[in-house]
Formats: sequence, C-alpha cells, structure tokens
Amino acid sequence: MSGAAIAVAAPSRRGWRQRLTGATPYLLLAPGLLWLVVFFIWPTIQMFLMSLSSGSLDDGFKLTWSIDAYQTAFGKFPKQMGNSLLYGGLATIFDFLIGFPVAYTVAFRGGRYKNLLLFLVIAPFFTSFLIRTISWKTLLGDEGPVLGFLKHALGVVPADFTVIGTPIAVVAGLTYNFLPFMILPLYVALEKIDPRLIEAANDLYANRWAAFRRVTFPLALPGVFAGSILTFIPALGDYVNATLLGNPQTQMIGNVIQGRFLVQNDYPVAAALSFILMAAILIAVTIYARLLGTEQLTG
Amino acid sequence: MDQRKTGVRGEISRRAFLQGSALAGFGAFLAACTGGAQSPSAPASIAVPTPPPVSPSPSVAPSPTPKPIPTGPLEWATWEAYIDLVGKAAEAQKYAPGSSPTIEQFKKKYSVDVDYVEKINDNEEFFATLQAPFVSGLPTGWDLIVMTDWMAAQLISKGWIEQIDQSNVPNCVANLRDALRNQPWDAKNDFHYPWQSGMTGIGFNTKTLKAVNKPEPKSLKDLYALPANKITFLTESRDTFGLGLLKLGKSADPAQTTADDLQAVHDDIKPLTEKGLRFTGNDYLQDFAAKKVYAAMVWSGDLASSGTEGDTFVFPEEGVMVWTDNMMIPKGAKNKYTAELMMNFVYDPKIAAQIENYVYYVCPVNGAEDILKALNKSAPLDSYHLNLLFPPADIVAKQHNFQFLTPDLDKSLKELFLDLQGK
Repeated sequence: MSGAAIAVAAPSRRGWRQRLTGATPYLLLAPGLLWLVVFFIWPTIQMFLMSLSSGSLDDGFKLTWSIDAYQTAFGKFPKQMGNSLLYGGLATIFDFLIGFPVAYTVAFRGGRYKNLLLFLVIAPFFTSFLIRTISWKTLLGDEGPVLGFLKHALGVVPADFTVIGTPIAVVAGLTYNFLPFMILPLYVALEKIDPRLIEAANDLYANRWAAFRRVTFPLALPGVFAGSILTFIPALGDYVNATLLGNPQTQMIGNVIQGRFLVQNDYPVAAALSFILMAAILIAVTIYARLLGTEQLTG
Repeated sequence: MDQRKTGVRGEISRRAFLQGSALAGFGAFLAACTGGAQSPSAPASIAVPTPPPVSPSPSVAPSPTPKPIPTGPLEWATWEAYIDLVGKAAEAQKYAPGSSPTIEQFKKKYSVDVDYVEKINDNEEFFATLQAPFVSGLPTGWDLIVMTDWMAAQLISKGWIEQIDQSNVPNCVANLRDALRNQPWDAKNDFHYPWQSGMTGIGFNTKTLKAVNKPEPKSLKDLYALPANKITFLTESRDTFGLGLLKLGKSADPAQTTADDLQAVHDDIKPLTEKGLRFTGNDYLQDFAAKKVYAAMVWSGDLASSGTEGDTFVFPEEGVMVWTDNMMIPKGAKNKYTAELMMNFVYDPKIAAQIENYVYYVCPVNGAEDILKALNKSAPLDSYHLNLLFPPADIVAKQHNFQFLTPDLDKSLKELFLDLQGK
C-alpha cells in the first residue's frame, strides 16, 4: 500500500523525502545537541567568562579579562588539589580491587542469581547519598561497631584511635559511594566474554592465571576503563565525603569551590577552580586513554 | 492545667470548625489574661500604647471573623535542641511529630498542622539553601525560619523577609524584653521577633574527661591546651573568632577589632587544625552523645537540654559570646498568617516558660521568668541552670557581642575562616 503511494507521488515530493532523509541524522541529533548547547556549552562559556571577571556579588561581576582568579586558584589551593587527586585516585583503585572480584563472580558464577546479585549491588543506593555517608560516621565512630569492637572486645587498637576526621575515612567514604559505578561497567564487560575463549586458552595449555591474564582481563579492559572514569571523575569533584568524614586537613577541591561560591561569594575564583578541575580531569583521562590504548575505549 | 483544658477541647473542636475558631479565640483570650495576671511587674498587655491586642477580641465573638483562616502546615525551619519535648523524643533528644507540648498545643488551638524541622545546623549552611530562591524571587518553601542576628540583619536589609502584621502578634508587641527592642537593623520589629538568646562558651563531659585524666577546662586557654583532635570549634565564624579574640586577651567588639586581630586569631588556631581540630555546627550534639570529644565550643542551653549525664557548659574566664536567634517569615511564605500566629503563641509568657523550662536559653519574653520559677517550685532550679536561663550580673559583664561587622571585616573573617577549615 505504501509502495503504491510512493509510485503515485510527484517527483518533487520524492525530492522532499530525500532531503528529509539526508537531514534525519541531524534531526535525530537535534534534541541532544540542543540539550548540550543549553545546559553544557553555554554554561561552560559563562563560567569561563566568570573566571576572567572581577567584582563582588553586591556590585556585580564585570568581565575584565583578569587572570587573578587563576593565580589565586593555583597559588592558594595546591594542597586541596593534591588531596582530590590522591583521594579520588585511591578510591578508584580500591573500587577496582573490590569491584573486579565482585563483577567477575556475578558474571561467571552468578548463574540464575545474576540479577539478584546485581540488584544487591545497587539496592543500598536507593537510599540518599547523604544518609549513607552520614551512616559512615556511626559505623566508623570512635565507639562504633567496628572500632568499639576492636578496642574493647579485642583490644587490638589503642583507645584513642580514631578514624573519623582522617584521610582514611574520606577515602573509605568515597570508595563506598562510587563502588557501583565500578562494578556495573566491569560486569557488562565481563558478561560479554565468550566462555569458550577461556576454554580455548585452557586447551592451548594456559593455566588459569595465564588464561585470566591473557584472555579475560584484556577483554574486560573497556569495562575497567569505563569503570575507573565513572569512579574517578565524580570522586575527584566530590565534597560531601570530605565535609562529613574529614577534617580541615582533608578538604578537597570541591570543598574549596563550595566555600568560594557560597560563603565568600567569590564567583571568579570558584569558576577558575572549576575550570582547572575540568582541565585536570581531561588531561588525566587523555593520559589514561593513551596508556590503555584508545581502541579499548569503544570495546 | 490550662494547657490540658485546651487539649481536651481541641479534640472536640476538630469535629466542627466553628467551634474550633471559637476555641481558638478563647485560648488566645486565656493566654492574654494569664500574660497580664501572672506578672504584675510587666504590665505588658495593658500598657503598650501602639497596636492594641486586637487579635483575640474579634475571634472571641462567635460572629463571622474578619481574620484569615490559619493555613498549614506551617513549615518551620529551626535548630536542634530548641523546643520543649516529652516522652521518647525527650530521651532521644530529637524532635518527632507529636513530641513537643508547645507545638501540639498550637496545633490544637488553631487546628492547623505544623511541620517543625530541625534543619539549621549553622547560619551559612542553611542560608546557602535559601539563596537561590531568594535571589530569583521564588518562595523558599519555609514559613518560619530562625536565624542569628547578623544573618537576620542581612536578610532583612536585602528585602527577603515578609513584613509582620503587628496586629496579628499582640503578645510579641507587648512582651518582648526591652533589651531586645530597637535593634538598629529592625527598630520596630517589622520583620523579626527573637526566638531565644544564648551564649557561646565551653562544653565538656565531666566523665569523659575524668576517664582520660584531663582537667576540666575553665578558660579558653585550657580548651586550646586539650588534644586538638579531641576538641571542636564552631562553624559559626563569629563564635569561633569572637572567643578566639577573647582567648588572646583582645576585645571582641566589632568597633575595635581590626583585620590584624582576626589574623592573630587565625594564626593562633591554625596549628590546632593541623593537629586535627574540627569545626561543627549544631551537630556537635551528636559528638557529645557519642563521647567523641573532650571539650568543644558550644551554645549555652544545648547540653543542659539535650546532653547526657555529665555534659556541662562553662562560661570561660575570658568571657562569652552573646547572640540572639530570630524568628522571621521568608518572602513568599505560603502560610504567613499561621507563622504570625506562631510568633504570637510563643510570646505568651506561659508558653515561653514552658519552652524555656526545657531548652535553657535566655528567654526574650517578659513575664516568663516568674512562671518558669513557679513551674519548678517543687524542685527549684540549681544555680547551673539558673545561670543559663537568667545570667547573673557577673556573667552579663563578661558577655561580648561580635555579630555586626563592617563588610571589610566580614570579608577578612570569611577568608581567614575558610582557610582554617581547609577550604
């Protein structure tokens, strides 16, 4: 029926259709592009211009092309930058060390419980991020279930030992909060691996470790890449864990941005810091992608 | 006694609104009467010349009332340990719906719901959640907020606070303590009425200190000398820096303090932060509950109302900071009239005394003192609690107000404090 309709249609109409077909990819892209322009590109430009402005909230900020904000940002907060990179990096590594065995087990040994196990990975995350982080204050508290037990029941740690307010607590919080972002991509990558490849490796006299190292792990690399990016980037910019679980020595760059923006109303420095953070992430990801090989990105 | 009466009648009144409004009138009338009768020394409700207490009279008459109907729920954002509690909530030291006599009485009296939320941990943190709606002229979602002097003054000067209809708050007009009137930032109380005044000093738990063999701090110097990772200061910069100035023997008076003085306080505290000093808002109460700290900078009433056994507040030898938290109605509040009713309600000396008898702060309501003492007739308050509620002359002499800074000083303070907090 539709074929008949096309045959009857005038040539001009066919041309219109063809043109429409040519434009289809762009039309399909349009909503996404529009979204990006309105909610990413335009704000990024605005933020960039703000980072080159000076003034105050009350008198208004004027674009002066001054780089003072960048000088302040670089000069004043190297420690917090370092903290961010260190804690974000450590959290990513710990997430990988914890997440890989979990994802591996679910993918290869999960059987019919796969979905249930995956659900269990996500289930705690139905609770608010804040509530979960605050719970760590109780869990790791000086007289909490962990330290209280170690101190009084086992007596293996000294009575004045404390975790809350130390880098350990911040890294632990980050590791916990971003764990699913590591497990899920790893699971997807591992799940796709054809078990016959591992059998083939065994047939070719690879022992289990060699098969893992030469076959399973390389095939899981796209998941490792995606997982570590998804973990590292938000962990780097996070400020909740450092606020709730840290002390003044463990503040991260997110805390500085928050303080600049909301307390001191110093928008230019806040914008400059955000830009530096974006640049740092971009550089880190580029190096990482290079090291891992860009083709792994697409799997 | 009267409260119970109101309670019983309140239940009946739910069935018929008319009865309810008549009762509300009766309740308010009763409140006005007791206010005058209980404290002859404060002839408040009689002598005040300007806005007469008009609110009760129209609603006393069962005829159609010109007053608006209270709408709800009243969304009320406030601090921890700031309302009277009974039962399990009092044990848990955390407000739960139905646990505060004052709020329950208000709900019954006006047949309106109250959403009392212990949302404010420190002024700036809470303000950060309001800033966006304020700037864009949107409602904040709150009908009543409680903020400290300096922040209140800023919000009012920005025009972000609704003007109070004084005819709806006759109790406030009549009973506000003279010392709290004529504030330069809102001389006629067009925008605020004080909720509580308080002091900032040192808090500790005697048992915790005894267990670790540390002396009880009597001065700020003693506090600073304790292990830094076992003490906390406040995220309220005016409290921490105010006490910091006193510790250094400097005057904590905004008219005399210089940026150099603030720098000196910063340099004095900085080494402590490197050894693990933390800054907390009202959540220091959780640290005390968990026995996590040896001592801390705390607000005067909290440990008495919401602390555990052994929790003690001391007025440091060097002096204390004094401040007032103020009730305000943010612009665009949905239930402004109900918020005004609440202001009026808690300025009934009887209700004020009931709150004070739990929170142990300094009451802004004239006439509450006698009622409060009468409430504790059988077991008179000890000097510890009396000093918190009615600071004697020697303590008043040590009070310092570090609330209102020049913009420049404010900026230096923020900058130095952010640095101390590692931000």
